[in-house]
Amino acid sequence: MELVGTEQCSVPTDKKMKRHLLCKICVLIFLLIFLFAIDSFAQGTETQSTSWFNKDRLNVLLFLVLFFAFVLFFINQAKKGKSLFVRKIPGLDAVEEAVGRATEMGKPILYISGIEDMDNIQTVASMIILGNVAKMVATYDIPLLVPICRPFVVPVAEESVRQGYMSAGRPDAYKKDNIRYISDEQFAYTAGVNGIMLRERPAANLMFGSFYAESLVMAETGFSTGAIQVAGTANIHQLPFFVVACDYTLIGEELFAASAYLSREPKLLGSLKGSDLAKLVIIIILVIGVILETFGVTRFTKWFFVQ
Amino acid sequence: MVTDLNTALWNTIAMFLTFCIFSFLYKDNPFYKIAEHIVVGVSAGYFAVILYWNGLVPKLWDPVFKQGKWYYLIPGILGVMMWTRFSKKYSWISRLSIAFYMGIATGVAVPLYVQNYVIRQLSSTMLPVHFQNTTGIFNLLIIIGVLCALIYFFFSKEHKGAMGSAAKVGIWTLMVGFGAGFGVTVMGRVSLLIDRVIFLRNYFDSFFTWFIKYIL
Amino acid sequence: MNFYERLMQLDRRWVYLGVAIAVTIPVLFPFKVPVYVTPEAKSVYDFVENTKPGEIIFLAIDYDPNAMAELHPMAKAIMRQCFSKGIKLLISALSQNGPGMAEQLISEISKEYNKKNGVDYVYLGYKPYFAIVMLAMGQNFRIPFPTDYYGNPLDSLPMMDGVRNYDDVKCVISIVAGNIADYWINYANGRYKVKVALGVTGVMSADYYPFLQSGQIFGLLGGLKGASEYERLTKQEGVATEGMSIQTVAHLVIIGFIVIGNIGFFMSKKNKVKR
Repeated sequence: MELVGTEQCSVPTDKKMKRHLLCKICVLIFLLIFLFAIDSFAQGTETQSTSWFNKDRLNVLLFLVLFFAFVLFFINQAKKGKSLFVRKIPGLDAVEEAVGRATEMGKPILYISGIEDMDNIQTVASMIILGNVAKMVATYDIPLLVPICRPFVVPVAEESVRQGYMSAGRPDAYKKDNIRYISDEQFAYTAGVNGIMLRERPAANLMFGSFYAESLVMAETGFSTGAIQVAGTANIHQLPFFVVACDYTLIGEELFAASAYLSREPKLLGSLKGSDLAKLVIIIILVIGVILETFGVTRFTKWFFVQ
Repeated sequence: MVTDLNTALWNTIAMFLTFCIFSFLYKDNPFYKIAEHIVVGVSAGYFAVILYWNGLVPKLWDPVFKQGKWYYLIPGILGVMMWTRFSKKYSWISRLSIAFYMGIATGVAVPLYVQNYVIRQLSSTMLPVHFQNTTGIFNLLIIIGVLCALIYFFFSKEHKGAMGSAAKVGIWTLMVGFGAGFGVTVMGRVSLLIDRVIFLRNYFDSFFTWFIKYIL
Repeated sequence: MNFYERLMQLDRRWVYLGVAIAVTIPVLFPFKVPVYVTPEAKSVYDFVENTKPGEIIFLAIDYDPNAMAELHPMAKAIMRQCFSKGIKLLISALSQNGPGMAEQLISEISKEYNKKNGVDYVYLGYKPYFAIVMLAMGQNFRIPFPTDYYGNPLDSLPMMDGVRNYDDVKCVISIVAGNIADYWINYANGRYKVKVALGVTGVMSADYYPFLQSGQIFGLLGGLKGASEYERLTKQEGVATEGMSIQTVAHLVIIGFIVIGNIGFFMSKKNKVKR
């Protein structure tokens, strides 16, 4: 299975790239118009008249086209090799600190990649971070324990860790047995992880991925063992539990930003920069809208109100 | 609640399983494991039966074999193709079904999500700011919270200077939100406990009343 | 180890015992607490009150037995209000483990008001992939549900005469535990413009206030508290109202533990610095 973060990109000529990008944008616009046409044709009841294009949703179409254009532009820039600035995520400093602490204490590091399968984008991001953690850990020769919840994730985790050790120049230190499949069942997996925490007493627990009700159970057990804990998830309901029980938490999009920052993979970087630009556009629109609303001009706001 | 031998039996089993689950609070033990496995097994079995009688039979079997709508076999085959995922040699076939399903799901979902989660929320955040009453002040708080939280999740610039201060306000806004989420979660969990305790009270009440009548 | 450090090391089982006692005592010795009605609960009540007899409300019972504690009381209160006003109910159960539980609830409440299946209410039952079901219902209820839960063709039911899709119902009230709520907002309201109100578990309630503020939902009932508010409005005190006094005591005990824990944390931190 090809891993995200290890993709090799060729650098085609400028003209070819421009043509590619133009083609992609044209196909995208055509597809969007086609989708909206189908949507408008299929929408509503039989008593209403149907149309090929729903003018009420023009604002949604414009936003989508703009957003896709931003993302494609930055992916293109990243593939060209242009340097795209992404600020350092503070949680990653905490990961380095955790690794350092584990080295001082001579205790292992426990890495938990969530309870979802590889089709979940958070698990994909977690595997990228795992590869980089493995690279850090390999340098200091401390054990990295990786209990896994889904069978499909095991080979991906093994490959991530192995590549991490190889890029640190320590392929001999890689131990396949440290990456173990525990159970598909949510709380059976949690019980297994808790058991590892209580027996092995890792110096650091790193929890990145998709978590549900087991998040607090694991974080509490880790806290009781005195380990330094860094967590990251995009599941909003679990964030409060990680925030209270862990030393540092990557909130929502920071998890994906961390994976883009560490891997520097063009698609991830491009998506991150594209969404940043979209956020900037939203902020500007919001400020303009608030000013106009305050002065009683409501036409601008009404344009965004989808009927 | 307990009115005859039948209801007495089922409610007693429910009471026993409730205490089995609660026993985990002291220590993990075989009773808890039994109750947990019963829940997992019953849910899986129940769902399998529901899926068969509400999904497979009315949506595939009846249309094809009773109504002669042979074209229902096409999505049926696409569904069967998903099972090839379990084979190392033929798992590539499942990608066709997954691609078809994901394409439709994405095509339907993306415009609607943008409409409802971005555009509609954006328009409802464009609120007038004034100090004539509390509404204007609350509007200002909402706008500041939204802007600062968006700035916190901006990764293309360092959080320094004015941007750093805004990001700090943003993270405080998020923390207030997380606190509210934590509070309602505690409320929800306590509600579940309340329901179980009320069940146990009603059970013991009605059981002993019935038992005495039964004996007499 | 001083007092504050011992406090920080307190076994969590003492906290469990404390909460258990805090819940058990009010159950055995009940008392009443005032229930204040929130505007979001009142809007749901007012909407149903202003619905004329004979009109149809779509009630989606989209939760499993594990969320019964919080959501059953609000489902019962809404159903009772509708039946007492002569409002007809079109009911679905789009959560996978919920159809049997929903059927039990419907049978119980319909018997109280002597309501007949097919005339005063129709129970559609469950179909998998709720997103597709919601989209299909926007065209015609008969596409995902050619028959009702009991196997009767929808066209044979008197209540379904002339009832095609969301245009023929006044609103959708979804009592839900899980992300099905997002799909009602996106598909039913976002695409088909039907009015939607939600009754959600306590855990989820905070997430849906932005949709209330934007007008995408017209009402919101949050957890057992929301159910108790609705019971107060409909003047039918039930389990939810009884639960409010117990909830109050439990919350006070939990707040007490949080305060004690924070005192222990800051004092032990202070002592460590002194040393």
